[in-house]
Formats: sequence, C-alpha cells, structure tokens
Amino acid sequence: MEAIWIYQFRLIVIGDSTVGKSCLLHRFTQGRFPGLRSPACDPTVGVDFFSRLLEIEPGKRIKLQLWDTAGQERFRSITRSYYRNSVGGFLVFDITNRRSFEHVKDWLEEAKMHVQPFQIVFLLVGHKCDLASQRQVSREEAEKLSKDCGMKYIETSAKDATNVEESFTILARDIYELIKKGDICIQDGWEGVKSGFVPNTVHSSEEAVKPRKQCFC
Amino acid sequence: MSAGDAAVMADKDATETPAVTEAASILKDENCEPVEKPENKCQPAVSTRKRPETRPSSDLEASELPAQQETASKDASQTGWGYWGSWGKSLLSSASATVATVGQGISNVIEKAETSLGIPSPTEISAEVKQAAGETSASENGSLLVSGPFGMLSTISTAVQSTGKSVISGGLDALEFIGKKTMDVIAEGDPGFKRTKGLMIRNSTLSQVLREAKDKEEQWPSNEVTMETDKKTHYGLLFDEFQGLSHLEALEMLSRESEIKVKSILSSLSGEELQTTRLELEQLKEAFSLAEFCEEEEEERQGDEDFTKEITELIAQLHVSSRPEKLARARNTAYEWIRTSLAKPVAEKEEGEKQLEAENTEEAQKHSIEDIHAFAIRSLAELTACSIELFHKTAALVLHGQKQEVTALERSQTLSQMTVMLCKDLASLSKEFTTCLTTAGVKEKADVLNPLITAVFLEASNSASYIQDAFQLLLPVLQISLIENKTESPDVSHQPRDL
Repeated sequence: MEAIWIYQFRLIVIGDSTVGKSCLLHRFTQGRFPGLRSPACDPTVGVDFFSRLLEIEPGKRIKLQLWDTAGQERFRSITRSYYRNSVGGFLVFDITNRRSFEHVKDWLEEAKMHVQPFQIVFLLVGHKCDLASQRQVSREEAEKLSKDCGMKYIETSAKDATNVEESFTILARDIYELIKKGDICIQDGWEGVKSGFVPNTVHSSEEAVKPRKQCFC
Repeated sequence: MSAGDAAVMADKDATETPAVTEAASILKDENCEPVEKPENKCQPAVSTRKRPETRPSSDLEASELPAQQETASKDASQTGWGYWGSWGKSLLSSASATVATVGQGISNVIEKAETSLGIPSPTEISAEVKQAAGETSASENGSLLVSGPFGMLSTISTAVQSTGKSVISGGLDALEFIGKKTMDVIAEGDPGFKRTKGLMIRNSTLSQVLREAKDKEEQWPSNEVTMETDKKTHYGLLFDEFQGLSHLEALEMLSRESEIKVKSILSSLSGEELQTTRLELEQLKEAFSLAEFCEEEEEERQGDEDFTKEITELIAQLHVSSRPEKLARARNTAYEWIRTSLAKPVAEKEEGEKQLEAENTEEAQKHSIEDIHAFAIRSLAELTACSIELFHKTAALVLHGQKQEVTALERSQTLSQMTVMLCKDLASLSKEFTTCLTTAGVKEKADVLNPLITAVFLEASNSASYIQDAFQLLLPVLQISLIENKTESPDVSHQPRDL
C-alpha cells in the first residue's frame, strides 16, 4: 500500500517585511508568481497558510503545512507564538536588501528564544536572486553566515521559479533524516511533525499538485 | 409512544441523555433490538453543541463572577451555544420552505418513497444498522457510536428531529425512515466517528477536534467509501484544504493569549478601577451573546451585490484593513453556480411537461445530484473557511493594527451582526442547494436523494456553528483591546509583552 504522506511537517517562514515570503509560498503551492496587484502582494496580516505534498523520495511524500508569517514589526508578537509548533523554518532575506540580511541573526535569536523546548531546522534563503544586478549581499557572505549558524543556504527566485522546489525539498529531506535518526520525534501536544496515513488511494485534490522538476540555474 | 415522541423526548433530555441513546431510541422505540447498549455514558449530547473548550470568557469570570457564570451555563440550552437550537428551527423552516417552493421537498420524497419503496420495517432498519454497526465495529474497535467527522451526533439528531417534525406535520409518520436514512448517511459518510469522544474532552480546542476528525477522514480508505460519500464530499478535508483549520487554530492562539492578558490585568486592578473595567467587559460580553435570528421573517436571500456591499460596510465599520473579497467571491461563485444549475428548468416551467422532463434530463446530465451535493459541501467548507479567516485576520488587526476611532464595544456589535449575516447566508445557500438537489433529483429514488439533502443541511448547520465558535473566540481579543485602549494614552504605541 502506498502512503498519501508519511509525515506532516509544519514549517514556518520568517524574515523581514517585503523580502518575498508570501510570493515564495505562492510559487511553491500554486505554481505561479502572483501579479503585482494580487492580494497576495498585500502585506501579510498575522499569518497565512499554505500546504502542499512533496515527494522527497520516490513514493515517499511529506505534507508540508506552511505558516507564512507577517514580516511587519507590529505582528512580531504573534509570530513568536508560532515557533514552538514548527519543526522547520525558512529564514528568508532579500539579496537586494542589505538590512534584511543583517536582521537574519535577530530572527534566529528570536526563534531560538521562543522555540524552547523544541528545535527548529532552519534553511537560510536568499530571495529575489533574479535581480542579480541589484545584489547587495554576496553569496559568499551569506554562505558564511549560514555555516556559522548551522544552516544550509540557498538562493531562490519566486519570480522565475529558481530553486523554489529545491529549497522546500532540501529542508523536508533534512528533517526527514533527523526523524529517521531519532533526533526529532513525534510528540503529543506538538504540531511540528505528525505521522501520516497509509490508505489505499491518494486524496485527489492533493495529487493534483504534483511536484514539478525544476532546473537549477 | 410514537417515534415522533421519541425524538421530542430526546430533544428534552438532550442535556442528560447520552448521544447514543438519543439516536438509538428511535429504533428501540419500535421494539427493535437495541443495536448496542449505549456504553458511553460520559457523553452528554449537549457537549457536542458547545465548543469543546470552556468559553474563555466564562473561564475568566469563573473566578470573579461565579454566580453569573452558573446562570450562563444554565441558560446554555436556550442561549449561547444552545443557540444551536434555533438553527435547528431555522433548518426546519428551510426544509418546509423548500417543500413549499419546489414541491419536491423531503415530505414529497418520503411520500414517493412510501408508495414506491415502502417504508422499511423496523426489522429491516435494525438489520441494516446492525450490519453497518458490524462493519464499523470491525474497524473501530467495537464502538458502535456512529458520529460525524466533527462529532455530529447531536447535529444529526437535530436534523432528525427537524426533518421528523416536518414530516409529521405533513401528516406522514415516517420518522423511522428518516432515522434510518440518517443512520445510513452517518455510517457511510462519516467513518471517523470516534471523534465525538474527542469533543467531550474539555481540554481540547475546537481546531484540535476538527483536525483529528479531518485526519480520521483522510485515513479512511476511499475504497470503502461509496461514490456519494467520496472524499470530494468530505467537509472536514475540504475545510482543511481551504485552510479553515489553520485559521481557526491561529485565531484560537490569539484568543488564548488575549484571555491570559485580560486575566493578569484584571488581577492587577482593584477598587473602582476594577469595578468599571468589569462593567465594561460585561457590556462587551453582552454584545457577544448573539440575538436570536429573526425567524419569523422569511429571509429573502441577498443578491450578490447586496451581500458584497453589506459585508464590506460591516468591515469598514470595524476599522480594520481586512478584506472580504475572498469571502464574497467564494459566496458569489456558489450562487452563480446555483443560478446556472437552476436556470433552465425554471425557465421552461410553463412549457409542456414533456419538454420540462427533457430539460430536466438534460440538466441532470449537466449537474447530477452527486455533482450538486459535492459542490454544495465544497462551497459550505470554503465559505466557512473564508469566514473564519476573516475573523482571524480581524483579531490580528484588532490586536496589532493602527489605533482607530472605534470602540471595542462598537466593533463587537459589528462582528455580531456579521456573524448573524454570515450564518443566515449559509442557511439560505443550503436552501438553494437543496432546491437544486430536489429539482435535479426529481426522478431519483428517495434513498438516493434524501441522504444528500440531509447532508447539505447538516453541514450548513455545522458551518454556522463553527462560525459562531470563531466569533466567540474574538471576545477576549476585544476585551484586551478595550482594556489597552483605556489604560494607555492613544499616542504611545503598545508593545505587547511576551507570554
């Protein structure tokens, strides 16, 4: 019997306002970049939600429950309460916005403070890599920072779909490995990881969203 | 005692009778073997009508206003969450209205069933229920209790009661029939049925209960689910797909945090300050006890523009930047679908019967009753999810938005109006859907059509209760905003402390 999904991961997406968190999730879950006038481009209020199935190995699917947080400072206290129930996180900055990169450490600190007693596996995401000419953060320094903080680093673009699938796959695989090793366990009262089911058929609507293969640039 | 009495009695006893007995009494009454002893004495039916969690507000007051709280809980069957009851009534009136307008309503169907199929004998019913129970026990550890994915037992019984009443008032004593059908619907459609127990656990929140129920539904192997109750029509799965569960959970978090803050602030107050604050919080709470729907006025359903206009106006009154477009779009899409589904047969009504029949056949091909049912459930799930999203966003903005020239009390009143409006709209939407069903299913057998109609009313009624639950979650949020507006000078922007 084939599983619909073996695990469900709750992943949180954090980072400064306007770095493109919502657009990244739109691209990943809906397969398109929202137009400029789309409500998806409004600043997120509190938190928004997306979900998608991701095949991390042939026949092994993970359901990703994505919490898209507001970057705006005024919603910060809301965001804080979401760390605890997340197993993984995308820490997104905008490669064309130096300040958003400088805030990465603050975000990480805040997350660590509020995730206790659990842990979050973070992936550092340098977003808007299609805007290479306006780059303010070099790949090297981002990679160095990510190393120092024990994260992986990836550069993405929601606009031209660069590395979007990959970033989600990398994070999901890393978490999956940690579960296999027993470093992360399913726990009652914790929403980070839930075990999946093994029914006969796949929920049609979810199957409709098939992971697409994407080329690396 | 007739079966009708049984239903009425079950209604009266709802606070004490275990849910299972309530459902089973219909069968027992006809001297059938009770399928199984109601083993779950700890499951008062009324609990399913309430939020599984203690009301944050009543919790708050528990320490301060014990007497008041007691009164509140006593009244619960009439007001507050017993508000449900009135939904039952409104369902009843919707059902009759459908009968009146379409002429193909439930009683007609029953009549048809009575003449063409015959009402199944009690033995048949019990045999079938036994069979269903047997199947279920196998997979569910011998628990007979057949409950909806969202612990719908009381809902079911409400539906049974109202349907039953309308049938009886129509001069047809066919409650057993409806009862059986309802049992079928539950047994076939709601496999994740141990959830009622989850609902009884007071500590779990609504979103947890719903999430578990949804998980159960996901778990249910689809090959054991019949075509009509295909996963496409599983409200819980759809509700989650539209992110209703997540928004509910997020709203619950905001509600809980606000509640803690309110408590801690109140405990730091004393004397006159405490008195006035309490008084104001009490006023706020009153705005949250929803007035009964005006049941006597037969609500004309609002046009799409009217709905969009009204919801937009209400949101403008809230002075939050929430946007109702998503909700309005989903709602108008649903009505548009219904319009196209109904357009042809209605237009052709004056024409000869043959032509009408031809049209109906054509329509039936276009939208089968299964299509209509699936779309109805989907729409209800989507609208409910959108409504809860709207409440969630409103809560976030009330807590962390710009300061506004509107009081917490005014906002509460507006939100209360909005809740009533949304629930009314769901009621009229479900009415429209059943009209579609009865029109398209004019040639269908009752045992095919009936469960679908019941399911639509049922989920509409559930939807309304989720929206009302979500509305209640806003109370602590508005309470804290009231207190903060009072205690702070408007200029100082408040940084909420961590919890």
